[in-house]
Amino acid sequence: MDVTYLKEKRLLLVDDEQALLDMVVSILKAEGFQNIAVAKNSRDALALADRFLPELAILDVMLPDGDGFSLLEQLKQKREYPVLFLTACGEEEEKFKGFGLGADDYIVKPFLPRELIFRVLAILRRSYKEENPLVKLQNSEIDFERAQVRRDGETIALTAKEYEILSALYRNAGRIVTIDALCEAAWGENPYGYENSLMAHIRRIREKIEKNPSRPVSLLTVKGLGYKLLVEGK
Amino acid sequence: MMKSIPKLIRRFTAILLLSLVLLFALNVLLLATYTFNQLPNAYPWKTAEEVAVDLFSKQQPYKLSEKIALELEQSDAWAILIDSATMQVVWQTENLPETIPRTYSISDIAGLTRGYIDGYPTFTGEAKEGLVVLGYPKDRFWKHIWPSWDYQFIASLPKTALTVFGMNLVLIFLIYMIANSRLLKSVKPILAGIQSLPANEPVYVPERGVLSELAVNINKTSEVLQTQSRQLRKRENARANWIAGVSHDIRTPLSMIMGYAGQLEEEPYLTEADRKKAAVIVKQSERMKNLINDLNLASKLEYNMQPVRLKRENMVAVVRQVIVDFMNMDLDDRYPIIWETKETCTSCMIRVDKELIRRAVGNLIWNCINHNEQGCHIYVWVMTENGKCVVIVADNGAGATGEQMDRLNHSPHYMVCDENTTVQRHGLGLLIVRQIIAAHKGEVVIRRSEEYGGFEVRLSVPMEPPVNPAAN
Repeated sequence: MDVTYLKEKRLLLVDDEQALLDMVVSILKAEGFQNIAVAKNSRDALALADRFLPELAILDVMLPDGDGFSLLEQLKQKREYPVLFLTACGEEEEKFKGFGLGADDYIVKPFLPRELIFRVLAILRRSYKEENPLVKLQNSEIDFERAQVRRDGETIALTAKEYEILSALYRNAGRIVTIDALCEAAWGENPYGYENSLMAHIRRIREKIEKNPSRPVSLLTVKGLGYKLLVEGK
Repeated sequence: MMKSIPKLIRRFTAILLLSLVLLFALNVLLLATYTFNQLPNAYPWKTAEEVAVDLFSKQQPYKLSEKIALELEQSDAWAILIDSATMQVVWQTENLPETIPRTYSISDIAGLTRGYIDGYPTFTGEAKEGLVVLGYPKDRFWKHIWPSWDYQFIASLPKTALTVFGMNLVLIFLIYMIANSRLLKSVKPILAGIQSLPANEPVYVPERGVLSELAVNINKTSEVLQTQSRQLRKRENARANWIAGVSHDIRTPLSMIMGYAGQLEEEPYLTEADRKKAAVIVKQSERMKNLINDLNLASKLEYNMQPVRLKRENMVAVVRQVIVDFMNMDLDDRYPIIWETKETCTSCMIRVDKELIRRAVGNLIWNCINHNEQGCHIYVWVMTENGKCVVIVADNGAGATGEQMDRLNHSPHYMVCDENTTVQRHGLGLLIVRQIIAAHKGEVVIRRSEEYGGFEVRLSVPMEPPVNPAAN
């Protein structure tokens, strides 16, 4: 899938440890991210945010002048954009606090470069999806903006449930999404008992996106566990 | 504890009745003995009779046999014989005091029979021609002068005696009961205090009443216990905080190692061999990361500092997510995970802490991976059985010997073992699984997998929290 446009996003990185900043910058740059600004404390971060106008902030929880949670609140007061916490605090309470304040994700140190990249891309894709209306599959294209599938010059509309299910799969493209997570995406809270409906919807989605729905190549079943959407270029 | 009070009362009553019976028996025995000893006191009358007979055994002049004379002499008694016709003393012993009259009227006779002559207790014996009167020293006998009772009184004497005895009994019983209930009343708070001590609750017993000293001691004991548990708690907190601090401090440097090694692992300009070295660093730092996480969680669970947030969850979904997370981690193909849950089992609603259960199942899967270097199949399934939700993680790997299984099931972990230990018994992974399942009041069984030949761990958690029958 084409994520180049995501790599042009402005990322603000806040951590008090220079070595860690260097490393994260090197990981992000190696992945192709170009617009990265760094700050070592809350004050610098706030000042920088005014000029740099970040589109994603990656914050440490412990900062020399206050904690990342209050920085998050201050940043969000000015503009709304996704925030990812990167922290050495593995505590559950901290995690809940972060999510409660509107953090989009939470990575506990230490982490692998590919984990960081995956999460950053996932958040960006979720937050700035309108810029990528076309998702290429092996035999078709999904146009999420119009909720359509294009195959062999034909345009097929997606129902609301099919759209929700495909979006959830696309957000985790290349990875297995559990039956439960898909049901939750389509039916919301208390999604239990919809497994059979989900199977029916998956079948219908396959009829739209696959050349041979009984031998799928893009929307794969992982027996008993979930489904996986394979996207071209991934 | 309070059940023992009726028991105590019964016991007291039994002891009381027994002591009353014994007291009665003792009194009867004493009275009998004493009365028996007093029998000889009837002898002055007998002696008077003997003297009368003895005096007339021979002809005139009156003379006592030596035996009787000696007897009188020994008891320091005197004797006179009053003639019936003349009312004059016709015979007397030599020791007759001067003050004793020599002539008597009929009323004098009646008086001396019942009482005294000039303060000398006197006893009469009937003789042929008169009356023998024996006089004893003044301090020798006491005489009852009006020896008569109401007939009814004597007739109902057994009844009267029983009534008196009964009233005594009731009175003693009452005294006993009052005294005991007082004692019980003061024992009650002390019992309650002692009862609360093992629960490690703060105890205060009012320090008054007969047992105030005991109360003071109980209060002191409680204070000592409280102080001790406070200190212990403080030390445990310090230890858990210390572990949390250390693991926090290790995370940042480890991030650097892991981050750069991870980059090197995928660096196309490096040789294959160098990339492999980087991969080893990544793998080992991942192990360290797991170890830090485990150490932190284990210490928190051990010292009850880990909050357990129970929520109704579908166990099938929770476990499914764990498996999928593993699959999405791109582990190498040597460890395929096979989902063996029956298709009919789509949900198993249960109150659990989702994060903790994820940790437990994740640890079991890591356990399979870490103990089978050459690779293995990992089988996971969820089922319901006898009102329990059961999660099983098994593999077809090397497994463990019976002895090792036994140790895993029974010996404490080095972290919670108070003996000095130089051998690490097993990793923290299984300890955490145990702690988590214990926090859910469930059970962990480690055994050889019958089906797959390797290691098998079975977690069972009761579906509903045990209902207290008393609450219904």
